[in-house]
This record gives sequence, C-alpha cells and structure tokens, in this order.
Amino acid sequence: MSALSAPQAFRLARRELRGGIRGLRVFLACLVLGVTAIAGIGSLAASVLAGIKADARELLGGDAEVRLAYRPIDAAERAFLMQSGRVSEIATMRAMARTLGGDRRGLIELKAVDAAYPLYGTVVLSPVQDLAAALERRSDVFGAAIDPAILGRLGLRIGDSVKVGAAVLQLRAAIEREPDAAAGGLGLGPRVMVSAAALAATGLIQPGSLVTYRYRVRLPPGSEAASWAEAARAAFPQAGWQIRTFREASPTLQNSIERLALFLSLVGLSALLVGGVGIGNAVGFYIAGKTATIATLKCLGASTRLVFAVYLIEVLALTALGIAVALMLGALIPVVVTPLLAGVLPAPARLGLYPGPLALAALFGLLTTLVFALWPLAGVGRVSAGALFRDTIDPTGRRVPPATLAATVLLALGLVALAVGSAQDRTIALWFVAGAIGAFALFRAAGAAVVLGAGKLGRPRYPELRLAIANLHRPGAPTAQIMLSLGIGLTVLVAVALVDGNLTRELDNRLPAEAPAFFFIDIQPDQLAGFAEIVRATPGARFEQVPMLRGRITRLNGVPVEKAPIAPEAQWALRSDRGLTYAATLPAGSQLAAGAWWPPDYHGPPLVSFDADLARGMGLKVGDTLSVNLLGREITAVIANLRSIDWRRLGINFTLVFAPGTLESAPQTHLAAVWMSPPAEEALVRAVTERFPNVSAIHVREALATIDRILGMIDDAIQLSTLVTLAAGMLVLGGAIAAGHHRRVYDAVVLKVLGATRGALTRAFLIEHGLLGALSALVACILGTLAAYFLVTRLMKIEWVFLLAPLLWTVGLGILLTLVLGFAGTWRALGAKAAPYLRNE
Amino acid sequence: MTSSLHSGGPLMVLEDVHLTLGSAAGPVNILRGVSLRIATGETVSLIGPSGSGKSTLMMVVGGLERPNAGRVRIDGNDFGTLNEDALARLRRAHIGIVFQAFHLIPTMTALENVALPLELAGRRDALSVAARGLAAVGLDHRVTHYPGQLSGGEQQRVAIARAFIAGPKLLLADEPTGNLDATTGRLVIDCLFEHQARHGTTLLLITHDPSVAERCERQIHLLDGRIIEDRRTAPSRIGAARRAL
Repeated sequence: MSALSAPQAFRLARRELRGGIRGLRVFLACLVLGVTAIAGIGSLAASVLAGIKADARELLGGDAEVRLAYRPIDAAERAFLMQSGRVSEIATMRAMARTLGGDRRGLIELKAVDAAYPLYGTVVLSPVQDLAAALERRSDVFGAAIDPAILGRLGLRIGDSVKVGAAVLQLRAAIEREPDAAAGGLGLGPRVMVSAAALAATGLIQPGSLVTYRYRVRLPPGSEAASWAEAARAAFPQAGWQIRTFREASPTLQNSIERLALFLSLVGLSALLVGGVGIGNAVGFYIAGKTATIATLKCLGASTRLVFAVYLIEVLALTALGIAVALMLGALIPVVVTPLLAGVLPAPARLGLYPGPLALAALFGLLTTLVFALWPLAGVGRVSAGALFRDTIDPTGRRVPPATLAATVLLALGLVALAVGSAQDRTIALWFVAGAIGAFALFRAAGAAVVLGAGKLGRPRYPELRLAIANLHRPGAPTAQIMLSLGIGLTVLVAVALVDGNLTRELDNRLPAEAPAFFFIDIQPDQLAGFAEIVRATPGARFEQVPMLRGRITRLNGVPVEKAPIAPEAQWALRSDRGLTYAATLPAGSQLAAGAWWPPDYHGPPLVSFDADLARGMGLKVGDTLSVNLLGREITAVIANLRSIDWRRLGINFTLVFAPGTLESAPQTHLAAVWMSPPAEEALVRAVTERFPNVSAIHVREALATIDRILGMIDDAIQLSTLVTLAAGMLVLGGAIAAGHHRRVYDAVVLKVLGATRGALTRAFLIEHGLLGALSALVACILGTLAAYFLVTRLMKIEWVFLLAPLLWTVGLGILLTLVLGFAGTWRALGAKAAPYLRNE
Repeated sequence: MTSSLHSGGPLMVLEDVHLTLGSAAGPVNILRGVSLRIATGETVSLIGPSGSGKSTLMMVVGGLERPNAGRVRIDGNDFGTLNEDALARLRRAHIGIVFQAFHLIPTMTALENVALPLELAGRRDALSVAARGLAAVGLDHRVTHYPGQLSGGEQQRVAIARAFIAGPKLLLADEPTGNLDATTGRLVIDCLFEHQARHGTTLLLITHDPSVAERCERQIHLLDGRIIEDRRTAPSRIGAARRAL
C-alpha cells in the first residue's frame, strides 16, 4: 500500500466497521479470554511476589538470620552478633503435646522466642494481648500462644493446659498472625509458641535433639545485610552456620511461586493458542461474508493490497480493543483472587498495576492474533471482482501468497521466542512449544484425515448416517477447525487428569503397602532399648531405626559450596541442614549406582555414600571428597559409592550415609520407622510418649495429608486454568457452529421441503456432532496420555499407571460438548419455518 | 408432446382457505377464502400481480405454510390432520417443488442434490436413478459439479430433475424461469412440461409470462388473495403456445 492509500484504507476500514462486528464476536471472546488468563496469572504472581519482597524482613524475622542445627551459638559468636545490632533468638523443634489426663496427644511445631521477638512486624493474638504476657510464667505454669488447630485435635479450649515434655503449658491465646511463619518451612503440626524459659523447662533439649536455633539480627540503619553476612562468614568460617539475608528470605517459596506461575501461564497460553484457531476462523468467516463488498471494491478499482490493508486495520483495531478489555480484566484478577489466598500466602499480596505482566500478555495477544489472522486475511486476494456474478463454493483452501506465509512464520517464531524468553524455566517452555506445535500439527492432520476418511467411506445405507458423514467432508465443513480447537482443550484436560490421577494414586495406593505408620524422632541412645521393648510388645508392629545427625554440606572437593557450580535441581540439598547417618550395610530402598560398599567392620579414614542424583547435580563422582559441618566441626570424607535412592518407599533413607568409625561419638539421636496396623497406633504412641516425653511421633498419613493439601491447592489452580483452555475450545467450537448456522438452517429447510422429517434431521445432526466429538476426544486421549506419560515419568519421576477413567470421562465430555453446542446451534434449524427462506421476494 | 386433457378425480382440493400473516404494519390478509379443485394430471397456471398471494397459495398447497382457516386435501390427505413430519413424508412421496431461486444445497453436487429425495426415502439405488434423472434434463456431464459451478439454467434443470425424481403426483413450480433469460427460460419450461407429460404429473405453475400460462390446460387468476378468474385454455391455444415456445 502506498503512502497515499494509507488514509484511504483507514477511511474505508472505519466505514466498514460501521456495519458492526457481528461476525467477529468470537474473535473478541477468544482474544479476551486468552489474554485475560495470561495477564491475570502474571499480575497475580507479580502481586504475590511483590508482597513477599515488601515484607521480606518480616518473613525472615530480621535483616539477616543465622541458623544452626543442634547447638546454640558460642560466646564469641554471640558477642559478634550482639555488636552487629539488635538480636532475637529463636529455637524450633518438633515435640508432642499431651493433655493433662494423657488421653490425647499430637505432634506440634514448638517455637521458643525471646523478649526481642519479633524484630520486624507484630504477632497478633486472640484474645488481644501482649506476646510477653501470653508467654510469661504464672505460678509454675508457662503460657503458650498456639495455632487454634491444636484445640480441636486435643479437645481443649483457650485457658486449658497441656504437657510438653516435662513442662505444663497453659494455652492462653490463639495466634492470628505470625510474621515469620513461612521461615519455618513445612509445618507438620500446629504451632505452639513459648518462651525460651518454657523450652528449657520441657527438658526436650538433649544432646542430639533435632533443635534449630535461629538468630535474627536487626542491623543499624544504613548497614548492608549482604556485606554483614560476608563479614560473619569470614569471622567464623568453621561455625557451620547458615546465613540468609532478607533479600533471600524465602527463595524456595519464590521459586515455587514462579514455577507455578509458569505452569499456569503456559496453560493460559494454551487457551490463547486454542483461541487463536477461533480468531482465524472468525476472520475467515468474516472475509467470506464480505465477498460481495470486496468484489465491489475491486470492481470499482481497489487493489488487493488496499483491500487487504482495510481488513488488516479492522482486525488490528479489534485486537487493540480486545487486548485493552483483557488487560483491564486481567489486572482485576489479583483483586478477586488474593482474598481467597489470604490463609495460604505468607505475606499479603501487594495489589497494584504491574505493567510487566500486562505488557507481556498484550504482546502474546497481538502476536497470536496476527499468526492466526494473516492467513485468512489473505483470502481477500482470492476474491475476484467476478464473484459478484457467480457464487463461490469455498473460497478457502487455495494457495496462500508467499509474503503472507513468510510473515506468518516470522510472527510464529516471534511468539515462540516470547514464550521461551519470558519463562522462568526455558527448558519447560521449549517443551511446551514443541508440544503445542506437535499438537496443532497432529490435530490438523487428524482433521484432514477425518475429512478424507469421511469422503472415502462410501454411502452407508442408513440415510441419516449418510447425511452426517457427508456433512463432515462437504466443502467448507468446519470439521478440521472443530477437531483442532476442541481436541487441544481436551488434550490438556486428559493430560492434567492423568497426571493428577497418577499423583493421587501414588500418594494413596502405595502408602498402605509400603509406608510406615509413624516416624519417631529424637530417641536418645539410652532410650532405644525401652523403645524397642514397647514396639515389640505391640502385636503386629515392627520397626527400623538408625542413628540420626544433622549437618550441612560445606565443600565439594575442597571448594566452598557457594563457589561450586551446582545444577538447579541439586541446589535444594545445600539450602539447609541435611539429615545424615552411618551404617555398616547398604540401607534398604537403595541400590549401588557406582563404587563399592564398605566392609561391615570398616575402620579407617572417613568414607561417605552419597545420593547419585545429587552427585550428578554437584559434579561429584566416586573418589571425590565432600565436607560436612557437624556441630561446628568440619568432617571431610571420600565418596566411596553413590546410591540410587527410592524415596517413594517412604522408609528411612538419607542422602548422606557415613561409614562406621566417624560419627559414633558425635551427639546423636535415633530415628525409628514403625510399621503397624491402625487399631494399635494410638496405644503405641501413648506408651512411647508417656515413657519418653522427649520423643515425638510423626504420623505419616497425617504428614502426607498436609502435603496433599498443598498439592491439592496447586492442583485446583491447574484444573481451573485447564477449564480456561477448554472454555476457549468451546468458544471456537461454538463460533464454528454459529458461522455455519445460516447454511445449516437453509439445508434443513430444503431437506424438509424434500421430505426429511425433524426426527431424521435430529438423528443426522446428532450422529455428525457425536462423531466429531468422539473423534476429537479419541485423538486428545492419545496425545494427552503421551504428554502425561512424559510429565509423570520424566518430570515428576513417579511410577506411571495408565488410568482409563479420566479417558472415558474425556471422551464422554467431548461428545457431550459437541452434542450440546452443536445441537444448540442447529435446534433452530429444525424448527425453522420454510416459507421465509423459500420466498422469491 | 401430447395436448390431451386428463379428466381424473380431484387430486387437490382447497376449501375456503384463509391465511393472514403478521407484519410490522399489522396483520396482512394474504389469502381470503380460496377454494379450488385440481384433477389428477391437470396442468394449471396461477397468474396474478406481485403480492396477490400466488407463492403463499403454493406454500399452502406444499404444506410449507398452514392456513388460518379452511381445508387443504391432497390425494385424500387432509393437511389439517397432519403434523409437520407427516407433511414432510407426504411431500417426499407425492409432491415435487421447483423454485425461482432453485434452492439447491450449495455443498452438494448436482447428483447428490437430485438423489436427496430418494435417499431420504431410503432408496438404495438413489444415485443411479439420480444419474438417469440428470441425464434426462441433459446434464449427465455435470454430475459432480456443485451448484456454484453451474449456470442458472443448469441449476434450474437440476432442480427439475430433483423435483421429478421420486415420481410425484403433484408438481409445484414457482416462477421457474424468473431468474433466467428468455432463451434459457424456454428450455427450462420445455424440460418441465416434457417431464410433466411423461409422468402424467399434476402441475401447478406460477408464472407472469402469458405464453407460459397458455401452455397449461387451466389458468387461475389471483388478485388480493382471491380467485377472480378460473378458465380453461382453449386446446388450440395450448397447441399454439407449445409450438411458439
């Protein structure tokens, strides 16, 4: 288009738009749905992350935190901290709370705080009171602030007392807000907050007890937390402490939120891509409906380029409108969703306008629209002025101009680059792109195969079946578009349902067979014989026990871990202390992957057996060295072998297993796993914790239920996004059916004139749409199963089981959706009065 | 071509048929008490100015429009007692219709369009019979063409083949040459009458063309929804009209 014709194109486009956008409503709906999903998910993630960043000091509990397992800091370390700023000291551990009568008990997350706690933020209690007042000692009874969940579990009320270890604690207040709650990690029991003196009174702190000490520091104004952390590390290189600043308050949480946001965004992008089919169809139908206008314009001397420009301007104007609406809706999603997440998020989300995610969503919308709309827009070139004098059967399906093809390919590459470039994990995004391209190609091919197959099927005897099959392959039939749009929506549904089903099955079905009922922690060496006695006295119970210590991996082949290159999937093992043990023989649930196991009577320089997956991520092999800081002492051991560990067994296993002769004299406790039948559980736990109040029982099923709840919420979020994709598919399906509505009514009228009954027409429509739905669902089942298999076996690394139920559901849903939408679209055709369509006037 | 008159019993009986349609300006009385008997094998032309109710009368006779009052009987079937599906079956068996605008299904080939009534009746030989039907209208070289690929005259001949394919007792034709030029129109009308004569079909034909009307044995003149004239065409004039065309 020359510069001269640009205003002309705008003028013509404006006039054309006067006629309204009737044919382009599906275009707008698809665009708005997809862009809203992406903008909404992006805005939500941004506001949640902004909330976490803004409250980072509260979440960490200070400007910096020093964390130690087993031991409090020594005098020199304390002096260093005290001169750095204001310090708050916290100790956390798992313990058992028992009612005074001893009839009920439960695992708790005990947290002892000092008078300085919290350094940032406030603890809100109900009934309203000072934290210090709630925790103070009143005539031999210490106070406790608690997570109200404990009340229900133990059948208590505020004001009642419980025993924890040797101390009696009065439950004085419920905790409504604990600013640093997220710093504690995954809680397996309700929080019980006490004073440091109360913790001492419990008598739970014994050598080797699984206690974590945290020292939070509030630095003077103007101090840089990062440089303070560097100075602390340099001053006490052997302390074995782990230092975090508020900038890395919750790296795991941030990482999880970003990863979840990525998955949800990709599902949102799926919705947009499915919607893209609807966009393309709508533009195609719109152009087809404009044949007379285009032919007239060409008769009057308009060039193809000018006409193309006119309709491109219209499409772009509508795209701008759709994107604007979608961005407004997307920006509002956090406003609606964050109140629902109030109990889940560690810090309140910061609502606001986040231009980054909105701009990204807008760009996705624009690129997707152009990728799908250019091709049908090129249809204006195929309309000749002669169309005014002769009907055309099907203007589509002819050669696309090379320039349009090149532009579409370039835009599609831009879309891929944007999807990969904007993703937090590019590998996943690349897999998604490959999957999306594969799915589009496969469904296009399947659609073409169905059209071809229907054409070759011959003429079945049953007239309704003949009519239905013929409708699938007639010129201009939307078979391919419907299969593509509905099929991709259903594929996502199948994949999510199968992944969900496999995960649920993994958690539910494998448990009773292999998992222990309880883990007992903090068993002192001198309590081991008594513990074994109790278990053996319980009919049907058996147990495994190992010594347990905790230490932090500090060096790999002498290189500090901070400086060693570590693969992302292995970094979790360095973020905090690891449980470790020593053993003479290869632990159950492990297989040697490299090296040799040491002799049972080994005595010599320290040897260690390491997790093979972690070793790969850390670049370690047999013969390398690994240093572990244990209670301030650094032990360097040679890696004697690597083990493949079956974590799914849920038995006892450790990433680090030392050879005998190194750790025996270190302070340690024992960890026991007990297998037993549920009826005896209560009595065993009571007997153990009554005799050994310092020992805590972790109920495996309950602990997994906690994890299950979190997985359930993630699952809900993904299911919801899946529905968005399916909704996009339905929009496209509805659009395709609506576009063919006029022709269908006309066909029905003519068929009725020729003697077709409403019953025959109904049966033909039902067969046609049922066939389409069933075929789409069938291909979706195959593709969705492949995707799920990949996700389950490669990404989640759990055992794959083929589940028939989700597939049957999907096939049923596919047929139902096409029948309902198809029939809603053709119902009027059945009842249409013939006369108005047949009159000459 | 024969010009003999048929004199069977009445195939079609209309008794005091009234039809009123609603419109933005209020109800419009389209048919105001039309009574009519047409014998089996008779050829009848329906003439009258636009808006006189010709097409509506044809819709009523075809069971496509229901009268507000009066009775319609075709071959002994009282339309008032038949539901929509029964009317459809009656059309399938006994009535063929040719429209001015052809009304072929655009996504079906010429052969498929012609075969449709037989297919709907469950005939297994629908396609071979349709192929013969197309050959009979001179379109055996166009069987795989879609309506959009045919000329107007060809489309109308496909429509005639379709209307006759099931051997109807009654053929309704609504200005079948209205969309065609004079020469093509003549060919189409010839084709129509030839088929009518071959099958002995009763014909009710709407036309504005007096020469076409004269080819019918009877001419009914409609004005403002009423029959104002019903006369037999003189046999000599029928012969002259057929020769002239």
